[in-house]
This record gives sequence, C-alpha cells and structure tokens, in this order.
Amino acid sequence: MNEKLRDLIITDFLAIVLGLTVSALILLFLDKNPVESFGILFSSIISDKYTFAEIFVKATPLIFTALAFAFAFKANLFNIGAQGQFYIGSLIAVSSSLFLQGKMPSGIALVIVFLLTVIGGGIWGSFIGFAKAKFKANEFLVSMMSTYVALAIMNYLLRTVLIETKAEYPQTNPLDTSMWLPTFIPGTRLHIGFLIAVIVAIAVWILLYKTTLGYRIRVVGRNSEAARLAGISSKRLYIIAFLISGSLAAMAGFTEVNGVQHMLLQGFNPDIGSAGIGIAILANANPIGIIFASILFGALKVGGTIMGQMSGIPSSIIELMQGFVMVFVILSYFVRSQLEIRREKRKLRKVVEE
Amino acid sequence: MNKPFFELKNITKYFSKVIANNNVSFSINKGEVLALLGENGAGKSTIMKILYGLYEADSGDIFMEGVKQKINSPKDAMSLGITMIQQHFSLVPAHTVTENIILGNVKGRIDWKAYENEIGELANKYGFEIDPKALVKDLPVGLQQKVEILKALHLKTKLLIMDEPTAVLTPQEAENLMEFVREFTSSGNSVIFITHKLKEVMEVADRIIVMRSGEIHGDLKCADTDEIELSRLMIGRDINPPARIEADSEADSSEIRLQIDGISVVENDNISRLNNVSFNIRRGEIFGIAGVSGNGQQDICEVIIGALTPSSGKILLDGEDITNSSIREIIEKGIGYVPADRHRDGMIMDMTLAENMMLKDSFGEKWLKNKFIDNNKLKNYTNSIIKEYEVKAPGAEANAKGLSGGNQQKVIVAREVNNGSKLIIFNQPTRGLDLGAINHVHKTIFKERAKGKSILLISTELSEIFGLSDRIAVIYKGMIQGIYNRSELTTEKIGLLMAGYTDDKEV
Repeated sequence: MNEKLRDLIITDFLAIVLGLTVSALILLFLDKNPVESFGILFSSIISDKYTFAEIFVKATPLIFTALAFAFAFKANLFNIGAQGQFYIGSLIAVSSSLFLQGKMPSGIALVIVFLLTVIGGGIWGSFIGFAKAKFKANEFLVSMMSTYVALAIMNYLLRTVLIETKAEYPQTNPLDTSMWLPTFIPGTRLHIGFLIAVIVAIAVWILLYKTTLGYRIRVVGRNSEAARLAGISSKRLYIIAFLISGSLAAMAGFTEVNGVQHMLLQGFNPDIGSAGIGIAILANANPIGIIFASILFGALKVGGTIMGQMSGIPSSIIELMQGFVMVFVILSYFVRSQLEIRREKRKLRKVVEE
Repeated sequence: MNKPFFELKNITKYFSKVIANNNVSFSINKGEVLALLGENGAGKSTIMKILYGLYEADSGDIFMEGVKQKINSPKDAMSLGITMIQQHFSLVPAHTVTENIILGNVKGRIDWKAYENEIGELANKYGFEIDPKALVKDLPVGLQQKVEILKALHLKTKLLIMDEPTAVLTPQEAENLMEFVREFTSSGNSVIFITHKLKEVMEVADRIIVMRSGEIHGDLKCADTDEIELSRLMIGRDINPPARIEADSEADSSEIRLQIDGISVVENDNISRLNNVSFNIRRGEIFGIAGVSGNGQQDICEVIIGALTPSSGKILLDGEDITNSSIREIIEKGIGYVPADRHRDGMIMDMTLAENMMLKDSFGEKWLKNKFIDNNKLKNYTNSIIKEYEVKAPGAEANAKGLSGGNQQKVIVAREVNNGSKLIIFNQPTRGLDLGAINHVHKTIFKERAKGKSILLISTELSEIFGLSDRIAVIYKGMIQGIYNRSELTTEKIGLLMAGYTDDKEV
C-alpha cells in the first residue's frame, strides 16, 4: 500500500515536472526566457494572498467534477456528463436561491439549496444509470449527450423564466448577499465551498472503501460476473453509482453559483467537466488524491491568467501546459502499473522461495 | 503414394508453465479421415493450431508430401491447401454468405453475380441448401457451419480440419456432415476431426489418434479397435486416487439434504441443456458427477445456486423449496460454490485477498463494525486462512491476480467452505492445479464431509471422482445416465456412460 502511494507521488511529480519542462520549451520558441517567466509566475502566486487563495477557489468545482468521474469509474462506468450535471446543479442552485432569499435565515436557506441541488443532480445522473441498466444503453454516449440537453435547458431558462429583470442579457439577477457562501479568509474570494469539497471527497473515500455499498460498487466495476454469482445486482448499482456521481457534479453548481459568481450566466465554466476527467486520472481515481490534483489544476489556471498578463505570452500557453501535464500524467499511469506488476511478482517469488 | 500427405514430426509446444504438446508425431494420408480423440485439455486443438499456423511450435517439423514446410500463419497454411474450421465460427454475421466466403481473397472490383453463381453451384454440388445472398446472422448454426465449409471448398482445400464440428449440431445435421465428409474425402481430400465423442469417431474415421495430456497414446485403424479400447486409452489407466477417508457414519442412514427433482433447462431454440435431472445428496455425503465437460455440468451448478431458472422441476434444501430463490438467498441458506472458471466467476483479480474474502457476505453484518467494514478483522481472518490453507501469498493485502492458480483456488475454497454451512458445490476444483494444491483441495473436501456437510463434486477427472465420491452420477448431454455406488463402476463402464452409452442399450 505504501509502495503504491510512493509510486503515485513519484510518477505524478515527474509527470508534472516533465509537463512544465516541455511547456518551458514552447516559451523558448516565443523568445521568452522560461526561467524568468516561471519565476514571475511563482513569485506572483506566492506573494499575493488574493492570488494564492484563488487557486483554491478554482480547485473547488474541479474537486467535485473529478469526484463525479472517479466515483462512476469505480463501477467501471464512464460519466462523461459531469459538465451537464454541473449545469443542472447550477440551475437548481440559482433558481432555489432566488426563490428562497429573504424568506428565511440564510443558513437554513443555503442548506435547503444545497440539498435540492444534490437531489436534482442525482436524479439527472440516475437517468443515465437507468438507461444503462434497463436498455443496455452505452453510458459513455448517453452521459456525453446529456450535457448538450442540460446546456439547452440552461440556455432556454436563461432566456425565459430566469432572465434578469432588465431582460438585457441571458443571465439571472444577482443573488442577495445573504445567499452567498461565506468566505473564510478576509481579502480573498475563498469561500466555504472549498471546505465542503474536501469534506465530500473524504466522505466519498469512506463510502467507497469503508462501506459495503462502496465495496459492491467496486466489485461490480472489477468483475460483474463474479458479482452476479455473489448475489450482487449490477443493474441496481449502475443506477446508484450514477445517482451519486450526478449529485457530486451538481455540488459544483452550488459552490460556483452561491460561492463565486452569485448569479448564473450563459456559457458558465464550460470546461470543468473535461478537466475533472483528467484530474481523476491524475489522482488514479482516489478521492483524496483528487483534492491535491485539483489544487494543482487550480494553480495552473491561476498561473495561466498571470502569464497571459505578461507581455508577449499568449494566455493560451496555460492550455498547452495543462495539456502537456495531462499527457504525461496519463503516461505515468502505465508506468505505475508496470512498476506494480513487477513488484507483485518480486514479492510472490520471495514467498515461493521461502 | 508412399509419402503421407502431411506429416508432423516431434512437435513440442509449451504454454508458459504447461506443456501442451510433448513430442507429438503423426501423419495423414490423402483421402483419409483422421480423428483426433481426447479429453478437453489433451492438446488436440493445440496441435491442430500449430498445423494451421495459429501457434508456433517450440520444436518439431511439418512435412508436406515429404517436403519440409514452414507454416507461420493461416495464410501459409491455406496456400498449402489446409483450412481449419474453428469451434467458434469466424464469420461476419452482418455480411452475406458470398461476402463471407470471398473475404480476404478478392481484389479490386468484385463481380458479385459471378461469385454468387459460383458459390451457388458449389453449394449445389455438395447438396447444401444455402442462398448465397442470405445474411449469415439469419442462418441457423448448422448452416453457418456449412458456410464455413463452403469457404474452405472455395479455397480448394485439400485438408480440412474441423474442431468439435458436431458440438453445435442436431443429430440430423451431424449425419449430413458425416455424409459430406465421406463425399469430400472420396475425391482424394483429407479431413481431420477434433472430437471427444467416441460414437462419431467410430462412425466416420479411418484412423484414430488418441491424445492424453499432450501426448499421443494410440494411433489405431478404426477397423481394429472398439469404443472400450478407445475410452481406456483416452482416460488412461494410471488413475492415482487420493488417499480416501471413509465416512464415520454410514451415509445412507442419514437424512437427505439436497433434493433435485426433475430439473430441465430448455433454451429458446428448444435445445435442452438439462433434461429431467434428478438426484439427491445426503448429509455427510460426497456426490460426484462425472462426464465430459460441456454436458450440462455448469447448468446444474447454476440452477442450484439460483443463477439459472429451470424450465421445470424442483430443488429442495432440507425439505424447503429453493427452486426460485435468488442467488443471495441461496448464499444465505448456506450453499457454497467453487466455480470452474475462477477468473470469471470466483474472484476479483484486481482486489486484495482480504477484499475477495468478503465477496459473498457484502449484504450481511459479518464484516461490519458500527456499519463500516472492519478491515482489521477481515485482514486477520484472511491471514489465518493463508496460514491454514498454506496459501503462498505475501499477505492479506496482496492482489489476487499476483497469485498462482493453485493459490487463488485455495482462497476461493476457503471462502466457500466458510459460506457453505450445509452444501458445498465443487465444479472442477482441481483443474489446472499442481499436485500439492490438488491434495490440499481433496483433503479439505474430506474434512468438510466429516463435519456433516454435503458435497457436490463435479469433475471431468475420473480419478478425482473415483477417489472422493460416495456415489457417482454420470451426465451426458444434460441427462443423468445413471447413479451408482462407487464400487459398482469400473473405468471402462464409466467411459462408455460418459460417451453416451447406457447399460444395455445405445441412446
């Protein structure tokens, strides 16, 4: 177990270093000194409290979408639709907040909004699981397409019932400050949504590794035939796994609407679903690892914004950096499995020789 | 014509640790039907796949009419006039008969009309009723096989190898196939049949090669032999029974634990997989089911554990009707099951041994503490099992896939012995295991019987059946051929029963 963790840390670290090194080479093509550019990048992240906290703000929704992918992945299901589940969550969060604000104490209202978001995202997700269980639909395609449906629903609602009072832009009225998630470091945007994300990640770990439900989900994911002969119905678990996965992605909608934007607008955070997939792979689908991997990607996002402000460096450099890091991370996955196979063999040989 | 058509000399083939063919030599002449007879796993298919270029032999040579040949791929084999029809057909279901037949042998623009006519004529010549434009997926299995044969004929095959060709056929279709084989060989072509069915062999073969554990144990002319000799050669006389421990109490005096009453399983296309199977197992009894594999053994297991619903019949456990109980209910009632295919059915290879230990108890409270899984308890238990069953594993946290087959099997046996408080089903419990592991499994079976548990032992290994069972049933094509006390049976008799002959008459 410890050796596995050690491998994970070493290979991930190397992957990140390699990703950054290749990105630095790209900077050379732009006639920029990469050492200098990275220097400015790191110093501005560390020296400024607001920027530093921003890393965690950016990481928060990524934790949720990565957890959503990782959870379904444990049941050998591919939830590519975290983006759509996030939109559904955002819609529920913003509409229930607008409805509830001023009608009750903000603490109670926020809890109700959170619960509604989770339930709504769960129902949306469970449709995908249901299609898989009932009709043997390919969950990869269904979940991917469900994102477009969710996007269309969001756009429609933003132009009709949810549109701001001025009716000028396809966006909602801003939320009352009572419905904002409280920040906990003054002078930053860091809201308690980050803490919720960390707690949820730990809860997901407990669910997967400490409860029989999580055990059954993992068994079905690894060998559904053996699961069947052990009396475990994979169909039921497909629905449950997608229900939980969908509600995890929807939580990102709650923290983004109530914690960051305080409103809902068109084309909102369009890439957190796909980033979540990469993060989940980076963390080997481990919920705790996802916290750290999300922070790394938060840092890359913030760094990209800063680099974009430097003269002569296109802000798209950060997408390159993310892309390179991702490629090396995925490669590291195969390196790790090779290392593990070799280690298992060595261990076994030792036992046999004794 | 003194040189044989094809000759294999001293072929040896290793699969990682197993030797599949050991110094195998034989030849086939023109116009001859050769039967390759042997039990499953005897190495029949392997040697044919070497001849067909699918496998590469580790040593040995292949000669065609006295000239040494190098066959590296099926393409090489086909150019020499060899075609092999696999047990599982290699047809494209969504394509037409013609498309399937010319696949891989056409270039450029295709003159469909000409090909369709040509194939139609070819089919007529051999009396096959096949429409060249029909889609393969619409054809019944018997006709699909004929498409495979047409494919071979279209290639002007001179040596046709068929792997278990009658396994999927009805008796009439099988009869048709035999007629074709006779016609095909009458014009100087040769056929090799891979089979374990004695009756077929006697009917159609000119010469018979008997294989057992990767070696040739007989090369006989059909006219000079009979079923009894063949079954003896196929099964082998070197039966090495495990040390038998007699039951403390007389089995017949104790009560019936499991009662199987007229169980039939019929599939949609009305092929019956089990046909009116009835037997019962008493407390503290080992009940063995012998038979060539694929004759309904797996179905019996699945019916009992609730994974397969019988079309008719009843199953009673201690007098209680469990016919329609779910798998989960059956587990809770105390029936353990050691499946034949441990990779697919018995273990989660990517999980640790400890996690595999609780596979069947995930709904119970057994491994829980305050609603959460008690990892320490599970780990300690698994470690005690590792010690007790002498599992060669680094520890409870080791991944199951890292273990050898024998050690994986010990883990499954330990789990199912623990689950099966009343009845334990062992389906091929020692297949592919080394001697030490086999011994251990056998000892465990005796130990559990001594505790009063009932054991259902299903095996194709006759030595195992004879060595362990108190009573023995023989299964053939989903039917019980008879139930005997151990002392009533001899190797010859059981061999005939397994091949489908009953005591007095042929079925």
